[in-house]
Amino acid sequence: MAESPAQTAFAEEALTHLDTLYRGALRLTRDPDQAQDLVQEAYLRALRYQHSYQAGTNMKAWLFAIMRNLFWDRFKGSRKEDVSLDDVGEFVLYDKLRDEGAKPEADVLDKLAASEVVEAVEKLPPLHREVVLLVDVEGFSYKDAAQALGVPIGTVMSRLHRARQQLQKGLYDYALESGIVRGSTRQVPQS
Amino acid sequence: MNCPDCKEKLDRFVDRELNSTEVLELELHLESCPDCSDQYEFQAHLKRLVKHSCDCDRAPAAFREKLRQILT
Repeated sequence: MAESPAQTAFAEEALTHLDTLYRGALRLTRDPDQAQDLVQEAYLRALRYQHSYQAGTNMKAWLFAIMRNLFWDRFKGSRKEDVSLDDVGEFVLYDKLRDEGAKPEADVLDKLAASEVVEAVEKLPPLHREVVLLVDVEGFSYKDAAQALGVPIGTVMSRLHRARQQLQKGLYDYALESGIVRGSTRQVPQS
Repeated sequence: MNCPDCKEKLDRFVDRELNSTEVLELELHLESCPDCSDQYEFQAHLKRLVKHSCDCDRAPAAFREKLRQILT
């Protein structure tokens, strides 16, 4: 595919970010075969449009942007506004566990299986899932995540906040189902 | 800094997105407030848990090789 040493070098550099792209694709599609198709298509597109990549900028964010745009175009349709971003309201797992007397609260987290955490992430709406993947899993700064998602930094922050609330609610539900916590029996005090 | 201010900035603190002055203010508050300190530890723990649970997947070797052949 590459027609010059420069193109080969570009492709080699791009391939150093393969694991990040694959993980992102896997979490977005939730299917290994679809993830590979999506990543392959993203790399082909990246090579085709490599002239639009500015050397010295964040190649990982640029590649992720190509991959997630393909995901939205091909797998989910391009109308992102149709995708529900249901709010769970203000749900703070720490407060919930403290109210139920779980002490220390972080012990509950240690009892959750990795597979349950992955499942809770995969249950997030895609617009929330992708920001958690970038910031929490791949360690992107808000600025780089904003570049990858094509949104302002404020949008990254608000989506991340809501995503984490949903994630905490999901993890709490797992903890309830598996008996790690027993659920609140405490009555709300009447004022 | 008071507890509501700390709570409002905790996400950005955990994500290392505060400037050095804000970090200092927040760290001073955490040193003197066990409740906020516990909450910070919990949020940092949760972030590590999500990362470690989700970042173990790697692209299969055969797929990596296939891509290399296609692209280079």
